[in-house]
Amino acid sequence: MAGWLFPLTLAAALVAVYRPFGDHLYRVVTGARHHRIERGVYRLVGVDASTGQTWGVYARSVLAFSAVSVLFLYAFLRLQDRLWLSLGLPAVADHIAWNTAVSFVTNTNWQAYSGESTMGHLVQMAGLTVQNFVSASVGIAVAVVLMRGFAARGEKLLGNFWVDLTRITLRVLLPLSVLFALVFMVGGVVQNLSGGVDVTTLTGGAQHITGGPVASQEVIKELGTNGGGFYNANSAHPFENPTAWTNWLQVFLILLIPFSLPRVFGRMVGQNRQGYAIVAVMAILALGSIALTVGFETHGAGTVPQAVGAAMEGKETRFGVANSAAFAAATTLTSTGAVNSFHDSYTALGGMMPLVNMMLGEVAPGGVGSGLYGMLILAVITVFVAGLMVGRTPEYLGKRIQAREIKLASLYFLVTPLVVLVGTAAAFATGNAATALNAGPHGLSEVLYAFTSAGNNNGSAFAGITVNTRWWDTALGLAMLFGRFLPMILVLALAGSLARQRPAPASDGTLPTHQPLFVGMVAGVTVVLVALTFLPALALGPLAEGLR
Amino acid sequence: MTTTLNDLVDVGPAPEPPTRPVGAGLLDPGQLWRSLPGALRKLDPRVMWRNPVMFIVEVGAVFTTVLSIAGPSVFAWAITVWLWLTVIFANLAEAVAEGRGKAQAAALRNAKQDTIAYLRDGREIPATGLAQGDVVIVGAGQIIPGDGDVIEGIASVDESAITGESAPVIRESGGDRSAVTGGTRVLSDRIVVRITQKPGESFVDRMIALVEGANRQKTPNEIALNILLAALTIIFLLAVVTLQPLAIFSKAYQAAAPDTTAVDGDGVTGIVLVSLLVCLIPTTIGALLSAIGIAGMDRLVQRNVLAMSGRAVEAAGDVDTLLLDKTGTITLGNRQAAEFVPVDGVDRLALADAAQLSSLADETPEGRSIVVLAENEHGLRDREPGRLSDATFVPFTAQTRMSGVDLGSRRIRKGAAAAVTKWARANGGHPAEQVGAIVDMISDSGGTPLVVAENDRVLGVIHLKDVVKPGMRDRFGEMRRMGIRTVMITGDNPRTAAAIAAEAGVDDFLAEATPEDKLAYIRKEQEGGRLVAMTGDGTNDAPALAQADVGVAMNTGTSAAKEAGNMVDLDSDPTKLIEIVEIGKQLLITRGALTTFSIANDIAKYFAIIPAMFATVYPGLDLLNIMRLHSPGSAILSAVIFNAIVIVFLIPLALRGVRYRPSSASVLLRRNLLVYGLGGVITPFLGIKLIDLLIQLIPGI
Amino acid sequence: MRLPAWLAQHLAALRALLVLTVLLGLAYPLLLVGAGRIPGLSGPASGSMTPVGSTLIGQSFTDAGGNPVPKYFQSRPSAAGDGYDPTATGASNLGPEDVVDTPARQSLLTRVCGRSVAVGKLEGVDGRRPYCTGDGVGAVLAVFHRDGFTGPVTRVVSVNQTGTPFLARYQGVTVEPAKEGEDYRALGGVITPIRGDAPDRPVVPADAVTASGSGLDPHISPAYAALQAPRVARERGIDVSRVREMITAYTEGRAVGFLGEPGVDVLDLNLALDGR
Repeated sequence: MAGWLFPLTLAAALVAVYRPFGDHLYRVVTGARHHRIERGVYRLVGVDASTGQTWGVYARSVLAFSAVSVLFLYAFLRLQDRLWLSLGLPAVADHIAWNTAVSFVTNTNWQAYSGESTMGHLVQMAGLTVQNFVSASVGIAVAVVLMRGFAARGEKLLGNFWVDLTRITLRVLLPLSVLFALVFMVGGVVQNLSGGVDVTTLTGGAQHITGGPVASQEVIKELGTNGGGFYNANSAHPFENPTAWTNWLQVFLILLIPFSLPRVFGRMVGQNRQGYAIVAVMAILALGSIALTVGFETHGAGTVPQAVGAAMEGKETRFGVANSAAFAAATTLTSTGAVNSFHDSYTALGGMMPLVNMMLGEVAPGGVGSGLYGMLILAVITVFVAGLMVGRTPEYLGKRIQAREIKLASLYFLVTPLVVLVGTAAAFATGNAATALNAGPHGLSEVLYAFTSAGNNNGSAFAGITVNTRWWDTALGLAMLFGRFLPMILVLALAGSLARQRPAPASDGTLPTHQPLFVGMVAGVTVVLVALTFLPALALGPLAEGLR
Repeated sequence: MTTTLNDLVDVGPAPEPPTRPVGAGLLDPGQLWRSLPGALRKLDPRVMWRNPVMFIVEVGAVFTTVLSIAGPSVFAWAITVWLWLTVIFANLAEAVAEGRGKAQAAALRNAKQDTIAYLRDGREIPATGLAQGDVVIVGAGQIIPGDGDVIEGIASVDESAITGESAPVIRESGGDRSAVTGGTRVLSDRIVVRITQKPGESFVDRMIALVEGANRQKTPNEIALNILLAALTIIFLLAVVTLQPLAIFSKAYQAAAPDTTAVDGDGVTGIVLVSLLVCLIPTTIGALLSAIGIAGMDRLVQRNVLAMSGRAVEAAGDVDTLLLDKTGTITLGNRQAAEFVPVDGVDRLALADAAQLSSLADETPEGRSIVVLAENEHGLRDREPGRLSDATFVPFTAQTRMSGVDLGSRRIRKGAAAAVTKWARANGGHPAEQVGAIVDMISDSGGTPLVVAENDRVLGVIHLKDVVKPGMRDRFGEMRRMGIRTVMITGDNPRTAAAIAAEAGVDDFLAEATPEDKLAYIRKEQEGGRLVAMTGDGTNDAPALAQADVGVAMNTGTSAAKEAGNMVDLDSDPTKLIEIVEIGKQLLITRGALTTFSIANDIAKYFAIIPAMFATVYPGLDLLNIMRLHSPGSAILSAVIFNAIVIVFLIPLALRGVRYRPSSASVLLRRNLLVYGLGGVITPFLGIKLIDLLIQLIPGI
Repeated sequence: MRLPAWLAQHLAALRALLVLTVLLGLAYPLLLVGAGRIPGLSGPASGSMTPVGSTLIGQSFTDAGGNPVPKYFQSRPSAAGDGYDPTATGASNLGPEDVVDTPARQSLLTRVCGRSVAVGKLEGVDGRRPYCTGDGVGAVLAVFHRDGFTGPVTRVVSVNQTGTPFLARYQGVTVEPAKEGEDYRALGGVITPIRGDAPDRPVVPADAVTASGSGLDPHISPAYAALQAPRVARERGIDVSRVREMITAYTEGRAVGFLGEPGVDVLDLNLALDGR
């Protein structure tokens, strides 16, 4: 029973911060005043903070920033042996460097490498940690633009990317990171520049205890739903996640921003109840998923878990089965991908849940920003079908959902299945699936998981599979790139399209989008569409393994 | 009171009961058969291409045909046949919808051709040779040669060729029932008609073009829905195509799995893969989408409304504000005499008698209502004007502002208070102070006073009042529940307007409205993001009709009005706007409901096909076979058959439209989600199981 | 001179990235490294070190030959390198149905069974588990049917055993031992784990037979510690109740009463037993 208190206390905490933290976020992205430090940043960057951007200019700014980030990080990784604090590690191989650069810029933080044996401290700090911050800010910024599109009354200008990026980073992410990094350090997360300590163990063995600036990266890894661990073992590593309470705090940080953004949405469109409706859809899906994951794992079906007596393979004693399963659900319901236990060794159906969570499009609550805009896209599609059923041209928040909006929403919805299914099929068709560690349906799951994780920018893995080959690094890099930026462009275009419309007032004939019926329908549409898209593939993976 | 009034005055067709759902078109089973050749002709890929969902089914059917020829089996051929049937059923739906229009068009053409026009000057020319402004005489049994106005006479006319309504209607000169339509038949009497149409542009001509769907364009919502369906189709195409490498891998891994009709060493067999694809893509809605659109227009035509574009029909469903003219729409066409108010010392009967006498020659509705009121309330029989041989009728003129009769020494006048009292004074009388008080009282209550005087004596006042049509209040309540505001437009002063608005139950009114006021009101509403619908008939309504999102011009109206609006109502019934709104909504609801149904169906199909495909590879997957279908072959075939025949079962629904009752969006959504969402989930489970029980008897399945 | 818009945009992006790199990539982490020097934080921030390792990082209590040193409580199995190697952290990543040994590696089931038997032997208790043979490998048959999954059984092989099969006959067919390197699934055998008659709740606890996620799990369950208590007491010549008291003292309960699971920090306990 203690296992169920974990998600329940999390839910309570998230409910408590929903309004105050959401309101803070709202003020950050709508406030007129620029802070002194921010003005300094704008001057250094050379942008005029007072000008607005159309969706097109905004999109080009996002792409320019991301492209520069990929190149910068790639160069950084390739040159690490010539920089300080490399700990004597060599330059990162070209395909791993490409994969990693894309991975961190796309907020995926998929790791085709093992942190402790590949990355020096400077790369971790000035390369990876920086992208942990800014990729999160980019995601939030894009979601904010979509909200502005809904709230607009015919305007064309939808904010300024550089201002949004700077403000979200400096007013939201950085202060929370400093605060919680200190808390993590109290719990035992390390923060030093040590190259490691060689010790002789109690029985005379040798052990190299690693060091590093872990806490500063750990906190933004969770807060920005990034998920790239300082170490290979990620949040299972005692230096990243030493205790059961730091574990709770990590999940809380993962869910904090995604679950608070609907508040910003509600405030932005002037109807808090619209925010409540969106957060309700997220909560229903999240609670359902967590319950199923925890249920499947604690039930412990399967030959090995039955032989063991519990699904303990790949899980830490201090977290136990239930809290590990809850972490697994949270990390895949968002685009985090941090792990405190290894999903590959989960029970068949327990391991299917992270996969399904990602396939949902990571909308419950999803990655920072990306979760909200993904959910709003689903709401748009639902509004369209539901709107027809009430006999009016569908409207969401007074904005008519017509051919252009549906085209953008449909394309958005197409991207992930395209990337995931084509990638998985290609891996099998080209024989590259053979790098899976496990045989049969479980091996298929490993491949499917890899592309699902990359295409949805999650970053967790059925980690048995070997993916640091040239083919895998390239394919997954492309999957991450397409999975991140195509949807973003479509979302920004949708924002532009919505912004041009003057909202129509609601009447009794308008589909109410804040009532339980609509909430249930969005949740239903999400589950049904995803089930229909991915059920055949799931049938040959986790279902084949788990049903007997 | 209501019934009395109804009996008193012919108000045309009885108003529909307010809760009547939008009527159904009938589907004759024979029609399916007759439409078959058309459906087969549509198999041409160049035609199918326009419907991507069904085009994919056709490509799949061709593919399975090739496979069946290469490797014949009962299963393969059965699937192939049913895939072809799926395509044909879809074409059938469209062909039936078009066929109904075609049949109607043919009937209309029949009515039109060979008609002879008898011009008043004695010439006889073919109807097609008529020009605007010609005057023709149409006698009993003859067909009216063109659209026009009755300028003389009264006749009962059979308009069934256009309306399908067999009961004859009355057409007469003057008033709002003067317009006649070419192709309709005069049953009795004789009328003189002035032709108003241009050659080849009659209502019937336009209606023929419309019902044949000659240049049907997709409406905005239809385009959006098509995009969504295309996206879903691509997703399912992806899901099915990418399945193959996974299937090959799985089959190779499970070496113990035997080769079956569904899966062998080369993965899922082509026939099964195509079956899965066809079952998943939204064929149900894809098959019925264009039929729904055609049928929606058809329903409008059946109600004698000519929509210039499908876009206008959809816009009708979106209307937020309805501007309705008071006169003829909210109230009965004209003011009716409601009461005789005598001055002190005058008998009410005497007043009624004088009023009736003065009105005998008054052919205005007001005048006749006075005659009728006197008859009903006071038993004064209508007297034929001709039988009062010594009577001289004095017509109303703008100068005198009164009318009346001279019966020997009895000179009776009725008219505006000032004019009649002045006339009485001029005759030497001294009208009582009381007359002024009565007149004021009537004016205050929103009525119109008509003073009656005989010689030098003012007898009293006739109280003419606007009578709100029965049932209107309920209909406006309905509109409110649908989220539509009703606004009454009237030339009355605000006080009078407020009184009538309150009585009729409209949400707002625009008093002393000039055409500019109407236009300004519409603009104001539209700036607030609302869609506005209005009706109009006068030339001065044209700018407002053009500005409104839905502008319904009365067929009796001027041609300027008809050009400006995007719909024409042949019946010239302003209340029809309400029905038009309902038809627009029903059209959208039908699309949404069948889309939901189509997608919800996929769940059951998965539970049939996935275990059928893969339980032979991974026996554990047989747990997904919750319907306990007989064999993999029967399961797949059942799903394909269900997928095909559900189209046929839904054709009537597509043509008729889903049941629609005016209610709020929440209520509608709840109901439709229950019926078409939940129903869409459950129905195929039952249907597939049932089909499976039957076809498992076929050897070889 | 005016730059083209796209170039200006990318230069702005580069400047923004550099500014943010200085702020977030240098100032922020170094500030926290500085904070990590503050007394009170410096212990945990530098790794919660003891002279023989970190109390947060598990270690093997084995001799040079890899055999358990019996006077010490033993940690869980580890998949990090050769065991508890902080430079190669991670898990086994083997799935729940990984039951057939291959020439390349042992199956997860066999690993579990082998560990259980070994622990049982070390602690002198019953090491049997469901789906395990008595000799500590996965009890798994490849069952060949005439028609794939159906029809009469034609051949049965115990796939993880090259010696005497754990079962003599299966559905009337004699069970054969496996030949080294043969893939019986590829030959058409249906892989069938056999439950056997081992108790549902084996004596050896779950954490004793499974590798952790990090490979550095510093904890064992109180049950596993209790199982080891008699041996440690015997080896150290102290009363077992004293050992049990120490286990209780070094058992970390659930955080805040409901988070995670109770665990015993093995290094702390062993250090305490050594009196250090």
